[in-house]
Amino acid sequence: MASTEQTIEYASGNEMAAIAARQIGYDLMGYYPITPSTQIAENLDQMRAQGQTDLIMIAAEGEHSAAGICYGASVGGGRVFNATSANGLLYALEQLPVQSGTRYPMVMNVACRTVSGPLSIKGDHSDIMYMLNAGWIIFFAHSAQEVYDFNLMALKLAEQVRLPAVVAFDGFFTSHQKRRCKRFANDDSVRAYIGRRSEPHPFFDFEHPLTVGSYMNEPDLIRNRHELHLAMNEAAAALPTLFCEYAAHSGRSYEAVEGYCHEDAETLLIVLGSSFDTALEAVDLLRGQKKKVGVLTLHLLRPFPYEELCSKCRSARRLLVADRQDSYGAGGGNLSLEVRAALQRAGLTLAVKSVVYGLGGRDFYVEDALRMFAMAEDSDTPDFDYYGIERADSPTPTPCRSEFFAPLTRERTQLGLTQVSEKDGKAVVQGGQLGATTQIPKRIAPGHGACPGCGIPVNLNLLLRAIEDPVVLLFQTGCGMIVTTPYPKTSFKVPYLHNLFQSGAATLSGLAEMCCRKQQKGELPPGDILFIMVSGDGGMDIGMGSAIGTALRGHKLLLFEYDNGGYMNTGYQLSYSTPKGARSATSHVGKTQYGKSFFHKDMPQIMAATGIPYVATAAESDPADFIRKAAKAAWYAKTQGTAYLKALSACPLNWNDKPESERSVIAAAVDCCFFPLYESERGNTTLNYDPGEKNKKIPVLDWLSMMGRTKHLLREEYHDIVEELQNEVDRRFLCLKEKSANPYL
Amino acid sequence: MTEPVRLPAVNDMGNYEIRLESIGGLGANLCGKMLGELGLHHLHLNSASFSSYGSEKTGTPVTAYIRYCDWDKDIRVHSPVVHPHLLCIFHDALLSDPGVLAGCTKGTVIILHTADTPDRIEKRLGGLSHRIHFQALYTLPAQQIAMETHSRINVVMLGAMVKAMGFIPLVSAEEICRETLGKKYPDALAANLAGLRGGYEAAKLLAMPKEPTGTANKTTSGSTTGDAGGSDASAPPTAASPMPAGGLNPHFGNSVTNDLSPSRQGYIPLFIQERCINCGLCDSTCPDMVFQFEKGMYRDREMMVNRGLDYYHCKGCLRCVQVCPTQALIKGLESEHPHKEWFLPNQELIRKPDYYEKTGADGYITSESYLTEKRIEGGEV
Repeated sequence: MASTEQTIEYASGNEMAAIAARQIGYDLMGYYPITPSTQIAENLDQMRAQGQTDLIMIAAEGEHSAAGICYGASVGGGRVFNATSANGLLYALEQLPVQSGTRYPMVMNVACRTVSGPLSIKGDHSDIMYMLNAGWIIFFAHSAQEVYDFNLMALKLAEQVRLPAVVAFDGFFTSHQKRRCKRFANDDSVRAYIGRRSEPHPFFDFEHPLTVGSYMNEPDLIRNRHELHLAMNEAAAALPTLFCEYAAHSGRSYEAVEGYCHEDAETLLIVLGSSFDTALEAVDLLRGQKKKVGVLTLHLLRPFPYEELCSKCRSARRLLVADRQDSYGAGGGNLSLEVRAALQRAGLTLAVKSVVYGLGGRDFYVEDALRMFAMAEDSDTPDFDYYGIERADSPTPTPCRSEFFAPLTRERTQLGLTQVSEKDGKAVVQGGQLGATTQIPKRIAPGHGACPGCGIPVNLNLLLRAIEDPVVLLFQTGCGMIVTTPYPKTSFKVPYLHNLFQSGAATLSGLAEMCCRKQQKGELPPGDILFIMVSGDGGMDIGMGSAIGTALRGHKLLLFEYDNGGYMNTGYQLSYSTPKGARSATSHVGKTQYGKSFFHKDMPQIMAATGIPYVATAAESDPADFIRKAAKAAWYAKTQGTAYLKALSACPLNWNDKPESERSVIAAAVDCCFFPLYESERGNTTLNYDPGEKNKKIPVLDWLSMMGRTKHLLREEYHDIVEELQNEVDRRFLCLKEKSANPYL
Repeated sequence: MTEPVRLPAVNDMGNYEIRLESIGGLGANLCGKMLGELGLHHLHLNSASFSSYGSEKTGTPVTAYIRYCDWDKDIRVHSPVVHPHLLCIFHDALLSDPGVLAGCTKGTVIILHTADTPDRIEKRLGGLSHRIHFQALYTLPAQQIAMETHSRINVVMLGAMVKAMGFIPLVSAEEICRETLGKKYPDALAANLAGLRGGYEAAKLLAMPKEPTGTANKTTSGSTTGDAGGSDASAPPTAASPMPAGGLNPHFGNSVTNDLSPSRQGYIPLFIQERCINCGLCDSTCPDMVFQFEKGMYRDREMMVNRGLDYYHCKGCLRCVQVCPTQALIKGLESEHPHKEWFLPNQELIRKPDYYEKTGADGYITSESYLTEKRIEGGEV
């Protein structure tokens, strides 16, 4: 047997998950960043940069693809890892039964977070409960230590019964709090414990070609599902040995159901996750008062350990199950429903009550656990209720009843300062003067929470000052959305809608069509209304399909992208727009990694390929050009079809430069041709600014050296990377020049 | 490893608890992590630490929590520290939030970063010792020490904490600096150690307090994150109109009631109106709708004229100073300009807000990449 030596780490759940993954030696991780699980990929990427792991890490363009990447890699015979949360899990959900139904093991970590909308990043269990029917083994860890241990056991069990497995834990409480943990001192011990992966039917066997993913009719399909059910039973049967073996290796013992003072308890509390530890303090306090109370938690949700659970409830007369999510309309969350079912199966007749508590990461104090024990013992407590709701007569305080601004009527914005007409098949802008357009009332109110010097509001104001028609805004998730709408406040003075970034453009399509219909039916007054989707470059990664679909359908709306070259809202992970070589939280720089490994996405050309009537790029360093393009984009969007406008947007926080200098950083991006200013009108490209002609062209490195995120590229060792980027930038610029010269290109 | 230390005080759960109240960018998050590692790796204590989840954007309130207990014990609770044994306030501007001092008990030791003299602090706080319980109050001019030693406020505050706690050997704190900061930024290590020692030496104990006449309360059921921002004395009225179901918000533009001035880092744009040519470039670069243009006359021409700045919403980014072609906007120290004659609240308001709610930039930076840490350390990445 390999060494059982353990070392101590001071680490969070996310860090322990990453350490486990490194020690296991996974082949591949497919992932998409989402709070609060993102740190797992970030930590692994950092280990990669330092040469501590050779894990293949694939930053997908969304969780659905991440799950697909994982599936492909596991079919290919690899050990595969993923981590996600909340809506990321839901977006991946379609793929998850494919993984289990075709019986390919892998491990996914879920740092549990509440599901949108309204959007919140905090922890509860509303995401993980969507997985109950996915055919995955689900471990639930209530401590960072368990996150590590369960990651090891999950993989072993998954490969043994050929089912994928999840290790779930509380977002933030477990994922982010640093604690004393133990881990195997040697990676070899971990690998020896897990053993070699057996492949009964290797896919890459060209002498015995294999078909994976058949079409099935009844009765094959029901037999396939029955096999899955049997595999889950097999997993349940394997658990005692699994725990026993792990205890022998690590010295840490687990059971499917963990209890504290339950042996003689008359009143039991059942909670999942980190609340269990907090409840232990309450039990000690009440035991000090001679009260016979205890607490239970589950280490597995699938297979559901109903026998172990019931055996630990034998002495209890009263039970309160605290759910951190609700199965709306079912009279409780899924945990309490399943506990009730288990007790009924075992013929136990206890007084069972349940509460929904702690949603959206609401803290759980010892006092809360004490109150729950009191509720369990109080016969007046309803069978099911919400815990911790503020009284209805004191709703969330809102700042004021009445409005602070007069409505932005058509009359107030149609001042004729920027006018667009059509000439020779092209839109021509008159006016749009910078000083004069300060008269256009701002559609966005001050007081938003963007970082000092943030480019997003700057770009939005430049866009909107050129538009005089009434405006409807849809924001995809991102910094721009988060900082403008923290309930109960909003910075929008015009109708505004948020949707998650897989479908912002689709949502706006529906909204715009509905407006049109209401106008046709005479339910709304006639007149142009401009529909604008605002998205970051991240939203244009995960939401690119939706944006392209919208463009191909040609809805009359404007897609506006603020491109700050990263997923800034979640702490700067790489986006497909991040420059090659740039440092980010998922493209670290180290001895074996130089930053982001691939070129920035050319979104304007992708949109141009859809054949929409107007595509343009704009930069705040040329405000007159920006206003002109905004006016044209709006004109095309209301008269012709979909328009797309992209602005480079500064992020002082994550570009790591000075807020006051951002306009010059943007100007340098334009002057080095990384961000060329051009427009494509009905397929005809016009290059608006050629820095070479004005003797202003600078090397890309001059721009890169202005930002902390790319400053390392100045070092000689990265010469080749910079040269590659320079060549690609030059190539794209020359293409644009050719297109600009030739209407058929 | 040094000998296990004896904790001077513990609560019912056996924990010694620390709360750090700070503003994003001062490094409280990293400081909390260092304290946690210090406990575990050098003091033979069990420890746990975490920060208010969410914001680490510049100027945002950040709270960090650290718990120590004996090695053999477990730290079970995951909730924020309500009654700290040590409360460390990284910036005296935070005192305007009553939540910052909430939960102090007779056993609480407070450390306050301030450049003020002790009697001025007492005056500013309206008799702190009469308002809240605490055991001892240490103050130090951390910013000044950080500047003198070329270190950062967080190491200076760490030095002060080591002194105030009394049970941590200074050599252990130096060791954790070497491990945490020295490995990543070896060049800055000497400066950081100097800052640590500077904080240790500069932290001065103030006179013992008298009995309080009232206490600040920190709700025990609030969210870890939500409370961080706190609200000032002119808190929102609670009598509120009900909001529609689904989180719909009919109060368009009500973020105007936020006062973002806490986001500023000491500097503001000053406006010299006679130099202004009303070109509008400032308005085109301002992310915070600060500039108040109105129809007016300039050089005998009717045009949009810059009337002034709305400092409620200025976050002090100074973009406008950089783009102004005539130096009509220049960088100035806010402390030197308490009264600004060109201060003009938002002119589009049809009704003046009853109050402005002091707040910082918000955001949900939740990662802990070394990019973030290094920025907190003040280094270029």
